[in-house]
Amino acid sequence: MKTLGIDVGSRYVKLAGFDGDELLFTDKLDSIAFYTLCRHAGKVDISRLPVLSEKGFVRERVASTGYGRYNVKIEGSAVISEIKAHALGAVRQTGLSDFTLLDLGGQDTKVVRIRNGEVDDFVMNDKCAAGSGRYLENIATILGITPEELGRHTAKPLQLSATCAIFGESEVIGAVAEGAEIVHICAGANLSVAQRLVPLARRYASEKYVVTGGVAYNGGVLKFLGEKLGAELVVPRYPIFNGAIGCALEAAVVHA
Amino acid sequence: MRRIGITTTIPAEFIFAAGMAPVDLNNIFIVDAAPAGMLERAERDGLPRAVCGWIKGMYGAALAAGVESIIAVSDGDCSHTRSLIEILEMEGVTPVPFAYPYDRDYALLKRQMEKLAAYLNIGFTDAEEMMKRMDVIRKKLHRIDEMTWRENTVTGMENHLYLVSASDMDGDMDRFGRKVDAFLAEAAAREPFPRGIRLAYIGVPPIFTDIYQFLESRGARVVFNEVQRQFTFPFDTTDLVERYRRYTYPYDVFSRVHDIEAELARRDIDGVIHYVQSFCHHQMEDVVFRKHLAGIPLLTVEGDAPGPLDARTRLRIESFCEMLGGRRRKTAS
Repeated sequence: MKTLGIDVGSRYVKLAGFDGDELLFTDKLDSIAFYTLCRHAGKVDISRLPVLSEKGFVRERVASTGYGRYNVKIEGSAVISEIKAHALGAVRQTGLSDFTLLDLGGQDTKVVRIRNGEVDDFVMNDKCAAGSGRYLENIATILGITPEELGRHTAKPLQLSATCAIFGESEVIGAVAEGAEIVHICAGANLSVAQRLVPLARRYASEKYVVTGGVAYNGGVLKFLGEKLGAELVVPRYPIFNGAIGCALEAAVVHA
Repeated sequence: MRRIGITTTIPAEFIFAAGMAPVDLNNIFIVDAAPAGMLERAERDGLPRAVCGWIKGMYGAALAAGVESIIAVSDGDCSHTRSLIEILEMEGVTPVPFAYPYDRDYALLKRQMEKLAAYLNIGFTDAEEMMKRMDVIRKKLHRIDEMTWRENTVTGMENHLYLVSASDMDGDMDRFGRKVDAFLAEAAAREPFPRGIRLAYIGVPPIFTDIYQFLESRGARVVFNEVQRQFTFPFDTTDLVERYRRYTYPYDVFSRVHDIEAELARRDIDGVIHYVQSFCHHQMEDVVFRKHLAGIPLLTVEGDAPGPLDARTRLRIESFCEMLGGRRRKTAS
């Protein structure tokens, strides 16, 4: 049986397609492009996605999550919360059953305690994109570098106090004006994000943290985070498709 | 009847005994057809963005309601209240400060009440007599609360609305009493709700307009509204001063913790929603609640301006209910 998971995020729509137990493909679309493509006759119709017909997917076996999940109305599809989707994805991807999941997304940070393979408790950042992927993106844009380049630096981190995703920009511009080295600003940005995450992550102290979401690609944040938490960080193979993978697994259960 | 504004629960016995009508400015603000307009007015007049929405709402409500004077809780509630009444004083409103002594000193609290009696030109015993009349209605509110958690025939929203109104009894206690009677009769004829997920709501009343309804759409019902219940004085004392000493909200957080713990135990609660208001000092108390209520799942929800829940908060509440539902199924199996 083929199942499809869709994570309709604030920046990207992520897809994960399974055939039985086997992950067949992952795909990522810009959210705006997704809606432009799929919005039809007042509905969001995912059968308009070329990738689905190419891969021979039937749209009945679908589960979705994310902000846009209620807009994506698919006949018979299941809708699950992001917490559940990410927990399922992380358990599947890592094979672990007791850990703390850090899902570090564009504007959300989710910290989920997993016990015996199930959600035990969770906490999210509230109403503020400080310390999120969006902050790192903004800083990279200001510095004229890619987020990947930004993520490489950890040496001599410059002290950045404003982790606000918007005000952080002016602070960085100020630092450039004062002649600070770009690499040290990068390190400072990575450190400030890690510092912001630590209090949330410590809510559910664990020997193992599984890190997912786009920020999992930022080695600098991971290094600082690992040091501050004094714990092992596990990054699964598909950090940004974790929620979509969880959905596909749920679709298999719902449609079994 | 002359109307006098109040900024939170104060001994309303004194106002009613003086033949006046208390007007809880919070209620005027939040039940207004366009509460956001009151908040906007406050910001247009220069109140900062980073000030609690309730304070700004009360500012707009005081001007809209045209009250001559306001009994303002200057100690035992947030210090923004002091600045609020100073600004309103410039608009011609007479401020009447009322202070709950932090250490619950009986003599000090009594002195505050005596000052209030003097201001309103009544005797202390007049207020004590009025308390007996108000208690008849409060007893009915306690009954609504009991029907919420024990008989399961009252929704979390209804519980909230009736209990939160205890602060000013809609400015007309006789009419309010009749409204309560009618509701009790209606609710008594209901079939009990299915058990579902049982929640406690702790913290100040919500600025969100649909939180109770949204919870119920997720299969969760609030069966304990902490502060709203306190507004009804669920204590068996007939001593007017003692009653306002036992009232937990204006004093230390630990007495609130004791009250919450006792209610969680007897109301068979699956999870706790801790509501905090943006820019409110009570936000810090989350640390205390998380530590003391460690055995029970707790979700902290933050609200800023009046209106429906935002997408993020809905997502968090939804996930919380999903998790609690999962736990219940696991315990049941």
